[in-house]
Amino acid sequence: MNLFGLHPMALGITAGIAAALLATPLIFLVLEKAGKLPPALRSDLWTRYKSWLILAPLMVGPLLAGRVPAIVGVFVLAALCYREFARATGLFRERLVSAIVSIGGILLTFAILDNWLGFFNALQTLIVCLIVIFSLFADQPKGYIQRVALGVLAFMLFGVSLGHFSFFANDRLGAPLQIAILLCVELNDVFAYCSGKTFGRRKLSPNTSPNKTIGGALGAAVLTTALFGFLVHCIFRGTPIDRPVHLIALGLLLSLTGQWGDLVMSSIKRDLGIKDMGATIPGHGGLLDRFDSLIFVGPALFHYLAYFGGLTLDLPARIFTGH
Amino acid sequence: MDDWQYRPAGDLHLKPGESLRSLQREAGLISSLTQTAWRALVRAYLRGYHRLRIDGAENLPAQAPFVMIGNHTSHLDALVLASAMPWRLRRSVFPIAAGDVFFETPAVALFSAMMLNALPMWRKRCGSHAMQELRDRLLSGPSIYILFPEGTRSRDGSLGRFKPGLGMIVAGSSVPVVPCHLEGAFAASPPGARLPRPLPLRLRIGPPLTFANLSNDRSGWQEIATRLEAAVSALRDSKS
Repeated sequence: MNLFGLHPMALGITAGIAAALLATPLIFLVLEKAGKLPPALRSDLWTRYKSWLILAPLMVGPLLAGRVPAIVGVFVLAALCYREFARATGLFRERLVSAIVSIGGILLTFAILDNWLGFFNALQTLIVCLIVIFSLFADQPKGYIQRVALGVLAFMLFGVSLGHFSFFANDRLGAPLQIAILLCVELNDVFAYCSGKTFGRRKLSPNTSPNKTIGGALGAAVLTTALFGFLVHCIFRGTPIDRPVHLIALGLLLSLTGQWGDLVMSSIKRDLGIKDMGATIPGHGGLLDRFDSLIFVGPALFHYLAYFGGLTLDLPARIFTGH
Repeated sequence: MDDWQYRPAGDLHLKPGESLRSLQREAGLISSLTQTAWRALVRAYLRGYHRLRIDGAENLPAQAPFVMIGNHTSHLDALVLASAMPWRLRRSVFPIAAGDVFFETPAVALFSAMMLNALPMWRKRCGSHAMQELRDRLLSGPSIYILFPEGTRSRDGSLGRFKPGLGMIVAGSSVPVVPCHLEGAFAASPPGARLPRPLPLRLRIGPPLTFANLSNDRSGWQEIATRLEAAVSALRDSKS
């Protein structure tokens, strides 16, 4: 169900993604002919590419299909990310905490479906309180802080933060914005990788993620800001957001929060002493290894756009619970 | 009380299909719910349809790890032994099931993992490596194994010879082994029967045995098999 009809920008960006995916094998071919693709790299790139062929439609499809599929799709993604996080940290053995985080995620999703921002905001505090209080009932003070902290962190990262990304679906410009965010967040990683290879020298954070360079981070910031700023300009044409200062700010926010999300997950993995969060996607590792950059983009852009009048959330509020 | 530790799931780096068949598999929230629902269903069925009677439940150790063994005449056996376990131990129970029956196709493997919480034993290619993995898991975490040392279901209802493989899991350790004898399962659901008949079942649970002073080698394993076979025979012949 789509209340607004498909936005031309949503279709345009999707067509762009499809064209890029179709062109990728040609680029591989050219690189191989030029002798710049060693066999090991080639097979790694092919595995990643094949995963993208499945992932991209799975991600963009629900966003195009309308408000409800988009919200449910983000919920499924968040649930799978939480599952990986819980299994990597050992939080999954704490059944009660895990159950509260899961129920919190379901309630948040209901609040988004209902377009009830007040309940969505209230849940952020209430679920955290519930995690802190219900953890008492195990009567095991040893490890209480770790259990509670892991539960709260997981709820904030996958429930609340990804929930903000989901909330865009209630806006008439939600679908094109969400697809643009997904595209730019993923390209942000690619830009960082390519700029890092080209002119990256000084390491960004050698202990957290030794392969990242300051050059890569800056290159990604410039390229992603340009791309996302352009897409936002096309999507928000004629609204208060369509001003250079906002376009640059939004692009920078996306690029920085994207890179920070990546670093946050690297820190978590380093702390746990594991390389990947799972083995769900061939060539990429776990889902979280792929979607870590998306986590903080939602809240950052949501509140920026809401503050400067970019979000109209034009559906009637409280679709199910209102009178 | 131990400190809380970051301990990733044992099957974290396995693909979804591999994880179902892994001996390191650990149940999450959803599996716990499906297993608890399945357990409630099976208990109601065994009590209602088969009027299951359990003697000697007080012989079960208060906490994991331990191993529960018994005679094997039907697919009901593992369900009966698992349902004898008290509620608070329910999450630690792992029936050891034939890989070629319970883990061959993806759908059946999913059922075995999500409902039964079974771990696979591949009978044709069961090397010492798999036994060692089972032993490590038993000694390092709170696990309870249910297994049948005859290695297969009896085709005539009588008690077969116990194979020494179980010894590899417990020899030289202080993990208790609880011998059980189930009566009536062969009549209710012999191999090849399609639907179980509503005949009564009686489970006798004997006092646990430990094999800490037996060596973890062939002679120790054989001795364990002999002692456990005798214990199960004695339960079968007891008149109480």
